[in-house]
Amino acid sequence: MIPSIEFRGVSKFFGNIIALKDISFKVFKGEITALLGDNGAGKSTLIKLLSGVHIPSEGEILLSGEPVNFKSPRQAVSAGIGTVYQDLALQPLMSVTRNFFLGREITKGLFLNMPLMNTITKKEMAKLGIDVADPTQPIGTMSGGQRQTLAIARAIYFGANVLILDEPTSALGQKQQLEVLRTIKKVKELGDIAIIFITHNDMHAKLLGDRFAFLNRGKVLAEGSRDEIDMNNLRPLMAGGAELEKLETEFSGR
Amino acid sequence: MASDERIRDIGLIRRSISRPELGSVFGLIIIVITFMTLTSISGTFGAMWLNPIGIQAWVELAAFVGILAIGASLLMIAGEFDLSMGANIALAGHSFAIFVLFGVPIELAIILTFIELAFLGFIIGVIVVRTGLPSFIVTLAFWFASRGFAVFLSQTFFNQSRLSVKANLKPPPGGGEDPTLIDNIFAFDKAFGVPFDAEVYYFIILVFIVAFITNRTPYGNWIYASGGDPVAARAVGVPVARVKISLFMISTSLACLLGILTVMTSGASDPKAGDFRELHAIAAAVIGGCALTGGYGSVVGAVLGALIFAIASRGINFVPFIDNNLFRVMLGMLILGSALLNQFLRDRIVKG
Ligand SMILES: Nc1ncnc2c1ncn2[C@@H]1O[C@H](COP(=O)(O)OP(=O)(O)OP(=O)(O)O)[C@@H](O)[C@H]1O
Ligand SMILES: [Mg+2]
Repeated sequence: MIPSIEFRGVSKFFGNIIALKDISFKVFKGEITALLGDNGAGKSTLIKLLSGVHIPSEGEILLSGEPVNFKSPRQAVSAGIGTVYQDLALQPLMSVTRNFFLGREITKGLFLNMPLMNTITKKEMAKLGIDVADPTQPIGTMSGGQRQTLAIARAIYFGANVLILDEPTSALGQKQQLEVLRTIKKVKELGDIAIIFITHNDMHAKLLGDRFAFLNRGKVLAEGSRDEIDMNNLRPLMAGGAELEKLETEFSGR
Repeated sequence: MASDERIRDIGLIRRSISRPELGSVFGLIIIVITFMTLTSISGTFGAMWLNPIGIQAWVELAAFVGILAIGASLLMIAGEFDLSMGANIALAGHSFAIFVLFGVPIELAIILTFIELAFLGFIIGVIVVRTGLPSFIVTLAFWFASRGFAVFLSQTFFNQSRLSVKANLKPPPGGGEDPTLIDNIFAFDKAFGVPFDAEVYYFIILVFIVAFITNRTPYGNWIYASGGDPVAARAVGVPVARVKISLFMISTSLACLLGILTVMTSGASDPKAGDFRELHAIAAAVIGGCALTGGYGSVVGAVLGALIFAIASRGINFVPFIDNNLFRVMLGMLILGSALLNQFLRDRIVKG
């Protein structure tokens, strides 16, 4: 199977800072790829390369086998890459529907086709398990988990076949975290979307991940499917593998 | 799909959603009742509320401030500010008068003045968007520059700061015989003998158009998003910079309309035209529920704010037992009170 996304020897430098060095990994449709790594490992930089915010310094990114070269987020979006940023890019005081369609409104002549947009919003949210009784409510009234779902539903509706979720559960309470995990599972069940799931939480990664990629200090530490990765070894890998071992010997030598 | 046990209802939260103009509706009711009571006590009820001249006084002021408030509220919703509106009225009036005095046909002079002011708005917008300076600062610069430039030009060419174009307007203002097409468009009162100045009719038409645009078009959506969270708006493809530039152009064009209307109806351009009107317009927008932080507010609210401002401002003349200076105190309290009320209403929406 051709991977939806493939990184081949991708590097990204910011001046003299090496944010990513020689990154290679694959993402397949219908699968959840958990991207794991400690703070500053380069996760956000990696998805910014994918979503057109940054341009790679070296290497290439392949989309369904074709090399791509995004120069702006717009290009990435129209190529089917939907990114749900940590801060979600939502307008709290605007209604659910207006947020859903912001920047891509459906019009009838010059004017917004509100009834149609309301219907679609309800329908798309229901697909991910949220019943929006009144889509004209301001989004500020929704819970964090519901907003996350809205951002995801929006990305999917506008043709994302690669969905990038940057720490979607990090800012949420326990119950809402589960709600978001459920939403992500529903997206997977839709079947034709490749999901990149960035998280610090090894439990969440274990629950949802089909493939795993571990980033450490700008490099891929390990990569592979569920069978190829030692599932009991997630936590040390996330914290940077060898380094943790070193630390353990240091501590035990006390 | 309603049978899915995982579907949850979010509709129960905050059914009682408040519209931004809610506060100003209360405000208007209160101010009308207050002044009806006060004028009844001073025996001037009829003079203010029934007599055409009395009504004219506050309706025309409401229209003048209201037209500016349309621009002020659009900008505030988009998270920006235009302090130069009042000065631009003088710039427009003077530019128009200078064109006319130089023998440019009135129709052409009107077009040229609109182009000039729209271009000024474009420049202001580009400076704000490109430099990232707060628009408060950028337009403060033009608050000085616009009026200064207008008076400089008239001093240079005509050696006076007030420019009369009475002789060039045919028929002269107040004349009334054979109105021209331009009279029909820019000075209906002359043309049709209707009771109000032309800005009242422009005001009514503009309110409808702009309210429709803000609520019912993609552009309206983008205005709100540009002020609410510009980064987020850009991320989903809203052309934030272009939206903001266009709004500065609307703001200067509205000032232009008022400048030209004033000259057309009075026959002269005064260097003090529009003085302080930008603050009145901003006051109206604040009373009407616009948030200074952007992303929230309504044009209809700002219009109600202008009406509140005008009734309070003119009404005080009909109530002799209250000192005129107290009016400013009252207006100040009114702005403070409205801002507090609006903040309270806004917080209820977000916090649920
Ligand atoms: N625009 C930039 N300019 C300079 N350095 C940058 C820039 N963006 C990221 N970096 C650096 O690149 C490295 C990786 O950062 P990145 O944000 O990708 O980490 P992360 O894995 O997302 O971390 P976190 O888990 O904290 O979100 C960091 O050392 C960071 O300081
Ligand atoms: Mg990050």
